[in-house]
Amino acid sequence: MVIDSQLMSFFTAGSLIVIGIFAALFLDNLIKKIIGLAFLGDGVNLFIITMGYKPGGIVYIFLPDMTISNFAQTAAYPLPFALVLTNIVIGASTLAVILGLVMVLNKRHGSLSAAKILRDKGE
Amino acid sequence: MDMNVLIAVMVILPIASALFLNLLHKKDRTIKIIAIITAIVLPIIPLLTPYGSHFFGGYVPLAQDPSLAQGLPALITGSQLFQFHLGIMYVFSSAKQLMIFILGLITFFAIFTFINESKRPSGVYAFLMFMGTASVSAILLSDDIFNLFVFFEIAALAQVGIVIASGIKNNYETALKYILLGNIAGPLLLLGIVMLLGITGNVNVTDMIFTLKNGYVNPQSPELLIALALIVFGWLYASGLPPFHTIKSAVYSKALPHGSALLQAFSVFTMVAIGIIIIRLFSYNPFTNIAIIGISLIAMILGITMAIVQTDYKRILGYLAVGELGYIGIGLGLGTAFGITAGLFQAVNEAVITAFLFIGFGTILYKTRISDTRKLGGMMYVNPKVALLVLLAGLAMAGVPPLNAFQSKLMLIQASIQSGLPELGIIMILLSIVTFMTFMKAFYTIYMRPKPKELEVLDNTIPRSTVISLVVFLIVCLTLGLFPEIATNSLQTLAAGLV
Repeated sequence: MVIDSQLMSFFTAGSLIVIGIFAALFLDNLIKKIIGLAFLGDGVNLFIITMGYKPGGIVYIFLPDMTISNFAQTAAYPLPFALVLTNIVIGASTLAVILGLVMVLNKRHGSLSAAKILRDKGE
Repeated sequence: MDMNVLIAVMVILPIASALFLNLLHKKDRTIKIIAIITAIVLPIIPLLTPYGSHFFGGYVPLAQDPSLAQGLPALITGSQLFQFHLGIMYVFSSAKQLMIFILGLITFFAIFTFINESKRPSGVYAFLMFMGTASVSAILLSDDIFNLFVFFEIAALAQVGIVIASGIKNNYETALKYILLGNIAGPLLLLGIVMLLGITGNVNVTDMIFTLKNGYVNPQSPELLIALALIVFGWLYASGLPPFHTIKSAVYSKALPHGSALLQAFSVFTMVAIGIIIIRLFSYNPFTNIAIIGISLIAMILGITMAIVQTDYKRILGYLAVGELGYIGIGLGLGTAFGITAGLFQAVNEAVITAFLFIGFGTILYKTRISDTRKLGGMMYVNPKVALLVLLAGLAMAGVPPLNAFQSKLMLIQASIQSGLPELGIIMILLSIVTFMTFMKAFYTIYMRPKPKELEVLDNTIPRSTVISLVVFLIVCLTLGLFPEIATNSLQTLAAGLV
């Protein structure tokens, strides 16, 4: 049985997103929550990459021996890949800030339990 | 110089200044000078900038400059690609001018108050304030929905930073909660954006609308509905509408007063910017307007009723601010030109009034270091002039004439009646009364009841800069209340274009 690779990628991206949301909302350990958020971000990135996939397409770099017409018909759409690159940077920055906050709160409370740290604190 | 470059300068200047301030650790005098100069320039730039568009990299649509299309195959020149925007585009109109001017004004007074109240102003704190302002200006200006997402994330980080820098008890916990939720809302918003990209092949809002209106895409496709739901989720987070109202009001309460004044302005203008995009893209679907009105009603009811039971005045203001967002949403959701104008006018008014209240009530924190209303009292005798200004700010929020929110709330009620929804008008009137009662209860407790014996009032005098800020906010409230057409004339062009 031949499985469509784009379909499988969409399925994987969807799974990562669902697992990520579940972990971020329902797991108590803050590090597990952060891993869940990383899953969520990666799932979205995979979704974007999969969306930009073009069967039989070529990399969107215009080489001297190509004609414009042939390039326009065969090159993959570059925009999704540019978006992924930007989102990776954003994701890394926000995860760094979250990890920094968790380090401070872990020192202060001596725990990584979200229930213990966040319960009735910020409200 | 091409004057349209000033459109980009509205974003680039605060970012450049922020990055420079971040490097000036312990150089107090230099930080003060640069921060004040930037803050003065911020509200001036939108007034000098002509309306129009700015194309980053000079990439105008091929249709606007056919010489660029020379040599391109008919595959491109003969299709809708000829019309599309090739790069990031910022659009500047009279409505955006007003909103960015008000944002700049609030930033100026937040910086002005911060510089004068702090003995050693922090360059990092000023960096965060300017980065937030730059991000929200970009969100307002951008016609590129992915560019909007990038600044949405930067704004969220700047807001978290402002909370962390406050040094208020439990601020780290609140910041963590906010950023954790942001890291769920952000990727989901992006997912909505890329679904739109997948369906329309674009991230430029004008081009997406072109694709939808010209039948290149089926507007009734379920993927579009999913994209709408995901974008609305991101919008709720950025604005602080339910279910994010609790965390948003907690964020306001864990920032310093000038920080809270700025944070609420970020929320208001982000709500308007993303709300406008939602209406532009999805107004063909009646479900969009129903959803916006429903969410806004819940925000009004939850925000204002939860404010009643709070004992910390910063939380009271936080919840009232969230409740007032509901009025803006009702205006947008009504979908008529008059309703949208009223909603946008309410947004401008709310940003000014809430900043006025946060900085005004902030004087209590400055004099007592206490924000719990149960421990306060008799503050009227400490500084009656400031007390009077705070009272006027509260009356403005409740919609008492001749102050500005009276005009916008009256317009909202008229718009709801014109749209055949008088029930909304009745609810808005009732909730304005509840807002008035909630504010008066807090005002009485803090200012008018006898001073508790254990309350210590510090000797430090309230800086003149803070009082000047409050007086200017009052002047803005009175001006917009007596001459609402100053704002509505600017806003109605945008509103008419959305219908």
